[in-house]
Amino acid sequence: MMSGRSRLWPVAELPTTKAGVERAFSYFIAGVRIGTLAQMVPAVHAGVTTSPHDVAYLVCWAAAALASVLVSVATLVRRRPLGAVVSAADYTLACLLLVLAPLVLVSGERFGTWIAYQPGYALSVIITASGVRSLALWAGGMLGIVVSYAVYLGGAFDGDMTTTAIGNILTYVVYALVTRMFFGYTRRIAHDADTSRARAAELARREEERRAQVMMHNGVAVMRLLTEPGTDAARSRLIDLAGVEVQRMRSYLRGRVPDQDGDGPDTALAAMIERVCERFADLPVETLLDLGAAVRLPAGQAEAVERALESLLLNVRAHARADGVVVHLDQSADGHWTLTVRDDGVGFDTATVVAGVGLREVVVGELRRRGIDVDVESAAGAGTTVTISAGPTPSAVRGDRDALTDAA
Amino acid sequence: MRPAVAVVDDAPLIRESMALLMPGLDVVAAVATVEELVRRRPTADLVVLDLHLANLEQQPDVRQGIAAIRALTGCGYRVCVYSQEERRFVLAACIAAGACGVVSKALPTARAEQLFLEAAAGGAVVPQPVVGILEVLVRRDCITLLSERQRQILHGRARGLSYAQVAKRLYVSESTLRGYWLDLTRSLTESLRNLTPGEIEHALGLAPGDLLEFWSGEATDGKDWWRTGTSR
Repeated sequence: MMSGRSRLWPVAELPTTKAGVERAFSYFIAGVRIGTLAQMVPAVHAGVTTSPHDVAYLVCWAAAALASVLVSVATLVRRRPLGAVVSAADYTLACLLLVLAPLVLVSGERFGTWIAYQPGYALSVIITASGVRSLALWAGGMLGIVVSYAVYLGGAFDGDMTTTAIGNILTYVVYALVTRMFFGYTRRIAHDADTSRARAAELARREEERRAQVMMHNGVAVMRLLTEPGTDAARSRLIDLAGVEVQRMRSYLRGRVPDQDGDGPDTALAAMIERVCERFADLPVETLLDLGAAVRLPAGQAEAVERALESLLLNVRAHARADGVVVHLDQSADGHWTLTVRDDGVGFDTATVVAGVGLREVVVGELRRRGIDVDVESAAGAGTTVTISAGPTPSAVRGDRDALTDAA
Repeated sequence: MRPAVAVVDDAPLIRESMALLMPGLDVVAAVATVEELVRRRPTADLVVLDLHLANLEQQPDVRQGIAAIRALTGCGYRVCVYSQEERRFVLAACIAAGACGVVSKALPTARAEQLFLEAAAGGAVVPQPVVGILEVLVRRDCITLLSERQRQILHGRARGLSYAQVAKRLYVSESTLRGYWLDLTRSLTESLRNLTPGEIEHALGLAPGDLLEFWSGEATDGKDWWRTGTSR
């Protein structure tokens, strides 16, 4: 049913692009011009009969009719409004017909009849040619028609018809302005729509690239560590980590949409942190989690924190050369929780060193995207402190209440 | 001047190499048992004490663990534990039993030597897991800290922040902060000693009796918790 209606009403299927808008303009122009021609046809016989120069009247009428048809066909074929040269010719013909009109019309018929089709024809030209790009051509064309209309009124000017004449002139000016605005504004909308679509596509591409980076980064770090010489125990721990990363990459390749809303069962943050740290048993990690034992996070947030912590510890293992790492979890009475990861390793200058994908995307980017604050403090030779914190989630508050109840 | 240090360790390698590897310490005695040290009673600024002293071949029935710490502190020694022990409640129990510090045998030698020097100079060398426990006890009002500044220092140190970082946050010099930390750890460890296992269990959310394995009631009994604990 929709497609049947669409076939009857082609505008419904036009794309909302620049090209689509120009195509819509071509329908509009052809419609106005053919519509005007249709209005001219019934009066042609009477016009020829009453004209003092019937042949000349007919020739002028035919020129107008032909121009209407040609303009309609040309715009429909071109799928856009006419160019500057043809528009100039269109304006010129309308002016010429107005100027010649006194010769082919009896004076009493210059107002209010379609025998005197010239003013109506000129109006259709003003409406349809306003889509021309050149401002000078549009203004010149409008001025030409207004002046030609004054000539048209010429000698037969009757004092009683002054108001009608002024009204008609204003009609030309107002319609020229309104249609120019209509063409211009519609083109701007189309341009903005095209730009927005291009931007959306670019953002989608970047988002996909970022997701791939986030998904792959920890896995790549694990693989790099696996290629380095190490003890069997260290390799066995890395293989455990690799197993986790393989699961993640497979779910990404299967096209699983990440759990943005964090639906799913809540996760106990302390237990999750403990699990991650166990995978880094080769590092001198101290986990102090008592103060945050009640923190529970939605699954999505917990997964992001897990990946971030893993990435931070991979960084420590690969770069920090730390003697000690402290992973500390705290929760305040109002439910705010803070995870601090501090290493006393080599650190880096945050002002000059560009953060890698791990820190930039897996840690800062992913966590901030989920409403979790991240602060990275580091200096060359002074270790690195990463503070991850967030306000109470409904579940975190509940967890805290449970803990209080338990304590009571 | 180098501090006089007595070493108690059942491993001959440690006893014999300590003076060579840590030239900053004046090792005045290196013995295998607490009993021997108590018998010899050397003058020392610090006793570096291994926690696990009993072994089946040489010395199956000697004092060790908390009992060893209490025996030595009872004789007026400052005791710094030097062990591979990592269980946080064992470390906390050592501090509660009177040790002025716990140094891990996993640390690089130079770092360990520096910590012994701090302990010999009167400092408290509190390992990170115990700092964490102390923070929980303070937060749960089991230990009362009087000043906001003390709370802030403990807050920073429990998160592993360096002296420099904490000093910067509190707008004091690093040396001033080290002084504050020294006073604070002394005061906190003193408070820890005065707590019962039950109070600590409650504050940490442990089940009643969880700490009995680590906290010993009796002071210097040779049949201490440690040996009976491991043989069970």
